[in-house]
Amino acid sequence: MNIHNLTPEEQKIFELLKNVMDPEVAVNIVDLGLIYEVHLNEEEKLIHVVMTLSTRGCPLGDTILQNVEVVIQGSYPDYIVKVELVWEPEWTPDLITEAGREAIG
Amino acid sequence: MQAGLSTKNAPSAAVVLPHFAFGAVAFLAASVILFFVAPDLVGHYLSPHLLSLTHLLVLGWISMVIFGSLYQLIPVVMEVKLYSEKLAIATFILFGSGLVILSVSFWSFNFGHNMGIDIGGTLVLLAVILFAWNAIKSAAKTERKTIENTFIITAVIWLVITVILAIVIVLNFSMHFISTSHLQLLKTHAHMGLAGWFLLLVIGVASKLMPMFLIVHKLPKRLLTYAYYLINGGLVLLSVAYTFYPQTWFLTFSGLLIVSGIVLFLRFNQLAFGKRLRKKLDVGMKMSAMGFILLALTLLLGLTSLLKPEFFQAVQLRIDMLYGVLIIFGFLSSLVLGQTYKTLPFIIWLKKYHSKVGKQKVPLPQELYSDKVANRHFYTYLAGIIFLVAGMLMASVLVIRIAAALIFVTGLLYNYNVFKILFHKEKVQ
Repeated sequence: MNIHNLTPEEQKIFELLKNVMDPEVAVNIVDLGLIYEVHLNEEEKLIHVVMTLSTRGCPLGDTILQNVEVVIQGSYPDYIVKVELVWEPEWTPDLITEAGREAIG
Repeated sequence: MQAGLSTKNAPSAAVVLPHFAFGAVAFLAASVILFFVAPDLVGHYLSPHLLSLTHLLVLGWISMVIFGSLYQLIPVVMEVKLYSEKLAIATFILFGSGLVILSVSFWSFNFGHNMGIDIGGTLVLLAVILFAWNAIKSAAKTERKTIENTFIITAVIWLVITVILAIVIVLNFSMHFISTSHLQLLKTHAHMGLAGWFLLLVIGVASKLMPMFLIVHKLPKRLLTYAYYLINGGLVLLSVAYTFYPQTWFLTFSGLLIVSGIVLFLRFNQLAFGKRLRKKLDVGMKMSAMGFILLALTLLLGLTSLLKPEFFQAVQLRIDMLYGVLIIFGFLSSLVLGQTYKTLPFIIWLKKYHSKVGKQKVPLPQELYSDKVANRHFYTYLAGIIFLVAGMLMASVLVIRIAAALIFVTGLLYNYNVFKILFHKEKVQ
């Protein structure tokens, strides 16, 4: 996972994704630990997000992925946004941040 | 489409939603009938009125909501598209009309030939076969061979066997081609339905959904695998015992196998609730937890029905009846009430807001119903169950009628929320 080696612009995208909520638990997907990688390629004008979901077959999965795309596209209209869903490494509750744990209650 | 997602596999809402509307109204109707059949609940369970109420509850309320939920959940659990939506709609029409005819006909049943029961029963059988065909054909496409899928498909097969046995019993009332007593055959039918259809299905679905809702990982699934073999093995033996060899030791042994399987499932749930990250339970999960607690209580009653201790002999019939009532009105109804709030708002929310998420401010799925109303009916229902148990143990018609009134209030509040969700108008900013 690359999430600690972000450039300042990638960090901005990462923060932007805190606006995307998992509608079931009402906690944002960054604090749930669902975002694995954020890459911004200035030359190719490409933003690539690698993320997971807390469970396979999640009925809200598509909506969350679409939300990620829409939110980034809104702030970066000149870029191509690619959201990639992966199941490896498998998500575990250990990936939830302290803020996420508090929000889950 | 990216692998492991189910939104695009989800069936159209028109297939799923009528099941919830029908189920909610059937539950309300059942609470009214409960009021009138209270005197039957202090007598023998083989009463036409109770057969009528039981079939309205198990088919019109519990199975109806399960059918609708399964059309939505099969894509979640199996990661496939439902085989046929048209088949699902045909199933709904046949099932709904069949079960109404059946329940009405049972009211005046005299344990002989009854045309209404023949027609209603045949329609229900056709519906159940179509439903099983749809579920099995969907499952055949899945690449995920999980224990959850095995539970669900086995449950569907038990449902078909349960209904076929019911038809055999009804025919036997007038044709007398099987010498086994009707009471024994009915016990087989009831246990196939309760343990084979409902229980296996609940285990299959819960083992996928509970970890998802409670945010808990790495639960010991081997408990479920053992439970699968214990419950199915026990149920086959119990059916043989009731039908051909109703000796106490054989019945007890078979029953204990089923009970052991249920204990393992309850242990799985206890671990899920205990290890959960999401400590605060929402109203849907509170009602579901109540369902599991009622299942544990039911087990104790089931054991006394099997072992028949001498000091219980005077009240054994009441205990047997309470056992059935607690499974249907307690465990299963509580679970369906609770899980409605974990499924229905999300179905409507996806339908209304899927394309708007991120672009506009949309409400959360939990905001589609009144949490206050749901919490109120959690308490009226709990009180209703307590009065029902007390009324049956005391053989008091009055106390059972108080229970019926409380369950009626529960039904009204539940219907308010179900229809509030169903008729939700889009709210975007």
